[in-house]
Amino acid sequence: MSDNVLNITGIQKNFGGLKVIDDVSMDVRRGSRTALIGPNGAGKTTVFNLLTGVYPIDQGSIVLDGMEISQIPSQDRVIHGMSRSFQNIRLMPHLSTIENVMLGQHARARSLGNLMFPLGMLSKNKWRQEAEDALHNAGIGSYPGEVVANLPYGVQKRIEVVRALVSRPKLLLLDEPAAGLNEVETRQLQELLEQVSQSGVTILVVEHDMHFVRNLCDHVVVLNFGQKIFEGTPEEVHQNPAVLEAYLGREDSQPAKETSDAS
Amino acid sequence: MLILQQLINGLMLGGLYVMVAVAFTLIIGMLNFLNFTIPALFMVAAMMMWATMTGNLPFGNETLLGVFGEANLWVAGVLIAIIVVSLASLVIERFTYRYMKAKYGDATEHALPLVSSLGFLIAFEHTVISAWGSDPLTVVSPFGDATFEIGSLLFSYPQVISLVLSLGIVFTLNYIIRRTKLGRALRSIAERPETATLMGVDVLRIVPIVYVITGLLCAISGVLFTINYTTVDAYIGDTVATVAIAGMVLGGLGNVWGAVIGGLMVGIIEVFSIYIVGADFVKVPIWGLLLIILIFKPTGLFGHSAIGKGKF
Amino acid sequence: MSGYLESQLIILCLSIIYAYGIFLPAASGQLNLGAAGFITLGAYASGWFNLSDGLGVSMPLSVVMAMLFTGAISFAIAFPILRTRGVYMVLATFAFAEVVSGLTINMEFLGAAAGMPVDDHAAVEIVVIAAIGVTLFSFYFMSTRLGLALRSIHDDESVSVLFGVNVRLAKVAAFTVGGMLMGLGGAMYGHHYNYIEAQAFNVLLSIYILLYVLLGGTQTAWGPLVGAIFFTVVPELIRNLAIEIGSDWLADSRFIFFGAFIVLMMVIRPEGVVTRTMQDRVASALAGRRKDTGETE
Repeated sequence: MSDNVLNITGIQKNFGGLKVIDDVSMDVRRGSRTALIGPNGAGKTTVFNLLTGVYPIDQGSIVLDGMEISQIPSQDRVIHGMSRSFQNIRLMPHLSTIENVMLGQHARARSLGNLMFPLGMLSKNKWRQEAEDALHNAGIGSYPGEVVANLPYGVQKRIEVVRALVSRPKLLLLDEPAAGLNEVETRQLQELLEQVSQSGVTILVVEHDMHFVRNLCDHVVVLNFGQKIFEGTPEEVHQNPAVLEAYLGREDSQPAKETSDAS
Repeated sequence: MLILQQLINGLMLGGLYVMVAVAFTLIIGMLNFLNFTIPALFMVAAMMMWATMTGNLPFGNETLLGVFGEANLWVAGVLIAIIVVSLASLVIERFTYRYMKAKYGDATEHALPLVSSLGFLIAFEHTVISAWGSDPLTVVSPFGDATFEIGSLLFSYPQVISLVLSLGIVFTLNYIIRRTKLGRALRSIAERPETATLMGVDVLRIVPIVYVITGLLCAISGVLFTINYTTVDAYIGDTVATVAIAGMVLGGLGNVWGAVIGGLMVGIIEVFSIYIVGADFVKVPIWGLLLIILIFKPTGLFGHSAIGKGKF
Repeated sequence: MSGYLESQLIILCLSIIYAYGIFLPAASGQLNLGAAGFITLGAYASGWFNLSDGLGVSMPLSVVMAMLFTGAISFAIAFPILRTRGVYMVLATFAFAEVVSGLTINMEFLGAAAGMPVDDHAAVEIVVIAAIGVTLFSFYFMSTRLGLALRSIHDDESVSVLFGVNVRLAKVAAFTVGGMLMGLGGAMYGHHYNYIEAQAFNVLLSIYILLYVLLGGTQTAWGPLVGAIFFTVVPELIRNLAIEIGSDWLADSRFIFFGAFIVLMMVIRPEGVVTRTMQDRVASALAGRRKDTGETE
């Protein structure tokens, strides 16, 4: 059990009458770099939302590093070691780069003393220093004098990753971190994530960029219509007929194994 | 019997509140904005009526007298109130809707038109104060003291007519919303503003119409107030019309029928409160009731499904 | 200092204190249209605690007690009111202020409609010190991690939750502390003028204070200061100008311009005068720093 940092067992989510996530189970090995892929609408971001507690699951269990977290409210899950980035950039537009990153530290700084410490006034404090170092390690400057809304897209995307990192997660959930990045930025992101993985953080990434996935990840889970249809190494996934069908999609086809009764 | 008389008085007052409450609820249901210009327009209409009837307009008093005659001067008052308020509504529409850049998805986005409407409120109040001061002003009712009795209950003609008129206007409005093409357009804007244009609704033409309709509701209510209560001042927007907000919330935001019932109920509650605890204390039951509703049952008595469902 | 200037300074200082009380919750997106209610509570509380016929405590103590009293009431109503959102919250705070107004005018021991005299006097220096203290405190408060959390909540509440922010408590804290500041302002009012008129704090006051804060800008702690200064000083300047040039109309119309200005601001610069970007750029310029352009190689 302690080999896996995350166990998802039989989770299910309905919206209205629609089964959006249907009996999905997977284990994420500690220290691994796993990709969660699937065509648009497969439910990948929904899985992230269920893991982080944005929505409650209707059935099943989520175990993070040995602890059942499906009943724990969203705001308390990050302290148990899971944090995420978002598909569409969700930085705080009116905050500076450093402040956005410092939000990631919040869960570690919830004591009264930390809450009332004047971060903004004393410029050489440990929290600020930590945020600056994290940005520096990721190859991003701290852009003093700018709110993040004015920064280039690629930079904002990477700031989001840094924000998630400073919460010191055991499991890092990244939702399409490479989307919209050019080649240089994608490579830099890959190097950053390899560094992160080597430091012991487990990575679970939703991605469409298969090149990126092949370079970074050692394990891939494929979703389609809210169900897991395959998992394996990136090479295996590339050749699996069910996966190819899901992506290339013949109108009249049903995946060989299961019926998708999503309606 | 006294109770029944108070009930009658409450209904009469409620009749005025009904139109203002409907005005509030229309704008909130359609555009998700608490329009504080509504009390101002009510006050302006009431003042226009007073000014016309007492010859205090900055122009043409002799002309008006000549055209309408002393006895029918109130007709001129109504017309002037309607014209002024309609023009004001068109200006207000531009600065609380059309010219707004709604680019903020954050927590205070809804507040921008609200703040703008507060600006208009201050501007209108002070324009009136500039012109005629802030003291109470009286006018002689054009219909004298016409009352009639049923049993031992006293009714005043102007008040009964006001109530009937209020209800009639709202019924008509509701009919328009429910059964006409215009009404369908209003509802589609309210429920899904982004797609309304795709469905062929000319939003930029319809929204000003809504503003003018709400302006007219305020105008008629304000004019009736002057006729019935004969004393007006620059602050009656704050002191009278804002109470209709309680009626709107009681009935459910966006719910036109709810606003009718809510407006009548608030009128009755106010009259009974004055009777039981005195005029000084009346704020407490009314606003206390509003506070309790907002905290425990913000959807009001009837929910808000008529216009803009699912928005709140 | 002349009597006129001193009276203007008092009004300015009180406005600044009230404005920060509204600013703290506004920074997290909570709009409080009931400032008059909290100010009333503070004024009457401190007055009564201080009154020899009341509790008879000395002025500094009565002011502190009044702040705690107002804070306690703010705390108590914060939980239910903060369950409301957006326009509902605006209405709820508005209703709260009306209820406070309606209650206090009827309380005999507070003088009812005749108003209440206040014993101890707070000289102008004390009011100024209070305003400075409130300003410094607010800058400190917004610079803390709690302040950062409030600003995050303003921008994106759901993401703030996902990073562990206890949104409920943060909003309650801002609302409560804001209430205490307004209570302090009310207490200062009462002790300076030594008299609280029955309806001294009304709907218009609540509206004006919220407007100062929103027009000054809610993104930084400079906003309320700029807003309060601008909107108490400029109308006076116009009035003096009008007297000089002998135009009655201009003097009477200054609030009409105020209203029109608000309408224009909401279209042209709804984020208010002082934005985060402006603050940072001014700070950078003053520090003579070049902007950091980013990537290390």
